[in-house]
Amino acid sequence: MTINLFQAAILGLFACLCSNSCMAGQAVGNYTIGRPLVGGLVCGLVLGDLKLGIACGVAMQLVYIALVTPGGTVSADVRAISYIGIPLAMVAITSQGLAPLGTSAANLAKSVGTLVGTVGTVMYYAVATLNLVWQSFGWKDVENGKLDKLYGVNFGWPWISHILFSFLPTMLFTYFGSTAVTALRNALPMNGIPMKTLFTVGGMLPCVGIAILLRQIVNKTADFIPFLVGFTLCASLSLNLVSVTVVSLLFAIVMYEIEMSKGTKTVAASGEDDFDDDEEEDI
Amino acid sequence: MDNTQTPKKLDKKTLSKSFHLWFWGALTCFSQEHMQTFGYLCSMLPVLKKLYPEHKDQENAIKAYTAFFNTNPMLGSVIIGITTSMEEARANGKGIDGETINDMRAGLMGPVAGIGDSLIDGTLIPILLGISLGMSQNGSPVGAIFYIIVWTLLAYFGQKFLFFRGYELGDKAVSFLVGKQGAAVRRAVGIVGGMVVGGVLASWVNVQTSLKLYNSNGKAFLDLQKQLDSIFPGLLTVVVTLFCWWLMSKKHVSAIWTMIILVVISFIGVLCGFFNPGLSY
Repeated sequence: MTINLFQAAILGLFACLCSNSCMAGQAVGNYTIGRPLVGGLVCGLVLGDLKLGIACGVAMQLVYIALVTPGGTVSADVRAISYIGIPLAMVAITSQGLAPLGTSAANLAKSVGTLVGTVGTVMYYAVATLNLVWQSFGWKDVENGKLDKLYGVNFGWPWISHILFSFLPTMLFTYFGSTAVTALRNALPMNGIPMKTLFTVGGMLPCVGIAILLRQIVNKTADFIPFLVGFTLCASLSLNLVSVTVVSLLFAIVMYEIEMSKGTKTVAASGEDDFDDDEEEDI
Repeated sequence: MDNTQTPKKLDKKTLSKSFHLWFWGALTCFSQEHMQTFGYLCSMLPVLKKLYPEHKDQENAIKAYTAFFNTNPMLGSVIIGITTSMEEARANGKGIDGETINDMRAGLMGPVAGIGDSLIDGTLIPILLGISLGMSQNGSPVGAIFYIIVWTLLAYFGQKFLFFRGYELGDKAVSFLVGKQGAAVRRAVGIVGGMVVGGVLASWVNVQTSLKLYNSNGKAFLDLQKQLDSIFPGLLTVVVTLFCWWLMSKKHVSAIWTMIILVVISFIGVLCGFFNPGLSY
């Protein structure tokens, strides 16, 4: 499989639309076009192998199932994962002759995607830094009362940041990278230590994504229980995700009722003894 | 207070324009220094133009929105809605000034970011993605298309609903967001989130060891993976995940370094035969 300049340019355009600061809005750009699952669909269509594209997208989506960006800090860049990582993984998988839907293809995709995604954070910070220039234009416009120019600052100028740091890198990486990936195949045999490590890491990387999610959910040790129950339902009882969601709703209702009744008790108690409201809440 | 003229009212068209500017432009001109400030400024422009016919007043009014702003952009649309209603009250001289609006904005962006990140990014999207991944497991595009349709509709109409609810409720919306009922809903959704994340891990990730010990006849007397499965299926997967969690939240290791540590572990594991993906040409 090779990637020609035209295909590389289309991938570059999609790279401008996604990422955390993107030209297609958060919901559509970052949360839809940027998702590796959707990126797999797009790359599959552009490169003409839908099945392989989706398979790579599914594999990488697992690693980045929880792409929470607290306070605008990113550990991986979706435009690099979805529009550089997936195309290169597709080339690598084809050149290694792996079955598109196999575990080894998925693990290779995860490794390639994570590597590219981590390196790709440079693109994220480059765009954000260049945007400071357009924002300085914006502050002048606010000062001088040229309010209509703010639309240009928010929707026009950032395109230049993206052409420089999203479009061009994506186009060049996918165009030249595909040749490099094919050459790399001969240098690293599949049963050697480097490739074995790469595939093993690929299998473990989703754990990092899940751990990031756990960081959001777990505040105290007891919060691990729902997580472990969900895991057991799937791993030991072989339920699928929809079933687990339905079961979890039951616990959610119980929890909601408990929390709500807790509140009314406090109010009632504060009515009986003449304590301060604030003190009651502390208890 | 000047009550001689009819009170100014924002019409649906202006509000809708303001919403769409936020929906498409919350983060287009993002920088580490100002983050979503310019997205906010733009989405307030139609509102200010409607409320203040004099250009001079518009210039003064926009000053309230030049302060730093950053939150979860999905749930954050409720904040824009609330400020449009407060701006309307300010234009009608109801004792609200720019500082009040700014305090409200600054006070809400933190909690809304926290709630939005854990409810939307941390719970809703993993559930949706988990279901979509299942549909695309065999390389079919159905899952991806399902995600695109369901998520885009949810995001668009959900944010629109929040925006207009914010406008209708005004500063009354705050008490729900940080109040008791809001807290109870968050606890309940947290349970769903926890269980689904566990389910996603079990369905999609499988860390296995290939360690086997052989006796002199060449027969394996210890198959570690089988032993582990008889204790608790998927034990290694849970252990690796909890290890990553421990590194990141207890040892404050960044995600990138956690990944590098996994590379080192895999490398050592491959060298001593604990891990073997078992591939050859």
